[in-house]
Amino acid sequence: MNWQIHLPALILAVPLLGAFAVPLFNLGGKTLRHVCFVLISLATFVFAFLLWKTVLVSGTQVYVMGGETSALTLPSGMSFPIRIILQVDAFSAFMALLGSIASLAGAFFSVSFMERSSGIVRFTSLYLILTTGMLGMMITGDLFNFFVFLEIASIASFGLVAFWRDRPEAIEAGFKYMLVSQLAAMMVLIAVGFLYGRYSALNMAAVASVIHLGLAEKIALVFLLAALAMKCGTFPMHMWLPDAYAEAPAGVTCLLVAVSQASLYGLIRVCYSVYGLTMGSSLIPWVIIILGTASMFFGVSMAVIQHEIKRLIGYHSISQVGYMLLGLGVGLLALGDPQALADYGFTAMKGGVYHIFNYTMYKGLLFLAAGALYYVTGTKDLNEMGGLARRMPFTTIMFAIAAAAISGLPPFNGFVSKLLIYHSSFAVHPFFAVAALVTSVLTLASFVKIFQTAFLGPEKKKLEEVREVPSSMLIGMGVLTVTILVLTLFPTWTLSNLVEPAAKALVDQAGYIAAVMGGVF
Amino acid sequence: MWYKVMTGFGYWDVYAWLIFLAIASFFTLWLRGLGRDDYKEGTYQDEIYFSGNDVPEDGEGITVPADSAYWGFKKALAPYYKVLVSMHSGHVIDYVGYLVLVTGIITALIVLV
Repeated sequence: MNWQIHLPALILAVPLLGAFAVPLFNLGGKTLRHVCFVLISLATFVFAFLLWKTVLVSGTQVYVMGGETSALTLPSGMSFPIRIILQVDAFSAFMALLGSIASLAGAFFSVSFMERSSGIVRFTSLYLILTTGMLGMMITGDLFNFFVFLEIASIASFGLVAFWRDRPEAIEAGFKYMLVSQLAAMMVLIAVGFLYGRYSALNMAAVASVIHLGLAEKIALVFLLAALAMKCGTFPMHMWLPDAYAEAPAGVTCLLVAVSQASLYGLIRVCYSVYGLTMGSSLIPWVIIILGTASMFFGVSMAVIQHEIKRLIGYHSISQVGYMLLGLGVGLLALGDPQALADYGFTAMKGGVYHIFNYTMYKGLLFLAAGALYYVTGTKDLNEMGGLARRMPFTTIMFAIAAAAISGLPPFNGFVSKLLIYHSSFAVHPFFAVAALVTSVLTLASFVKIFQTAFLGPEKKKLEEVREVPSSMLIGMGVLTVTILVLTLFPTWTLSNLVEPAAKALVDQAGYIAAVMGGVF
Repeated sequence: MWYKVMTGFGYWDVYAWLIFLAIASFFTLWLRGLGRDDYKEGTYQDEIYFSGNDVPEDGEGITVPADSAYWGFKKALAPYYKVLVSMHSGHVIDYVGYLVLVTGIITALIVLV
């Protein structure tokens, strides 16, 4: 029997079981706990990689939980699926791959970074549960199941944001995040209820095969759109994000970046695969484009004036999510017009999808580098830093690579995805391309400020004892740096093997439905 | 071409850029190498020129803090930033309010259109 058919279940089972096994590993000492933490994250990454390879070779993978066979989505006599189905097309596999890389990097980093904290067993368990929730959101084919994984990820992240509970700011950030997230989760649940009430189905492909746009479907779409846009940090619903990202331990923030992308994944999946052409009017695509453009500009505007490093980088997350929304919104706008899709829509989608991967890698690295600075200086305030490049050469180089990539400087990977977005959004209206370019300039300005104030300039007396961070933290940052360099040096390979299959999977709504419904729809 | 990223409106060639970067670096280093040959490392020539003033011992005294970076930009856009910063009140009621407001606006638009 080919064990690889179980890969969709394995990438969820490994971190989930690992989370509950951590207290047992802890009985063998901290070294065993650290090794198991990293090995579980590594195994999850390997399974995600194998799943991505399998999807590239064999097409969409469907896994029925608890069925007679794992591939039987519609047992005889059934007209729609009733079991929980994991459905992994090229876009889901792409997302799972990037999520598992971020999780692995954060795990390596956290081994040394969290050494000085107490409650590490709880931290490790919550981290692995967060990984499970994130990956579950990315590979489930079921709307209610998506809500469940969203809640799993949310609850784990509340605990992790407020993990340093001796800091009032961390408790406050965790509480705010919890309150807004729970409202959003209720909106997702109501939307799922609307669709279930209309179609008696929860499977995304099954709903997509019969959906037509009535009032209930419109309200469900708006609730899903607003809730998931808030969860990924879209302006003006982004307020929780800089608070939460700034207060969470750095390894967690790296993972939270990928978790926010899981919410963006949900938004994209609903718009492209569940509703698709049923959306009819161009209102929703325009809403996404406008929210994206506003997020880009206002996010970066707020970033420029920050002096706390993690808050500054947090505001850039809002700005970067704006790029993705702009690209994917333009793609959605062109979805109903084959000529527009061929001319600029598919390019915009490729830009948006590519930017998701790039953003997760360089933003994760920036947060880890910010965590490294906090680890050695004990402060997040840029005013208190200076001259650290001499003391921390590896961190400096990796931060510079990530900063150049996020600023869209050639030849880094961020430039390629932004170029695709500039060109395609220009075809819709030049204003969007200009807004994206201005945002990029302000992004560069912010990171020049960080680099100048933290790494350059004369050394400060109070930082004379600073040394480079421990090797496990460097390895965590190194994982993301290597990924950025691969994406930079092999852009055509990346586009052909990672990005285009994912973008094609989004366009191919019929293929998504057929993978579950077969010839029924 | 396998090494070119086609955007539909143009293309991006990472290797052409890297070759250009290598050539530019070569000429930059070559020009730098033509500089003054009376430079002696570790002498007074290495000292910081601080507008004729004594250089403070602690670097803190000659550092531009992050707060002061782009002060002109911030001053020019003060009215814009006044509004934008006031939106970020830190009150959780506002956080929830913006979510409800955006949901309401999109709902009204999609139901009416």
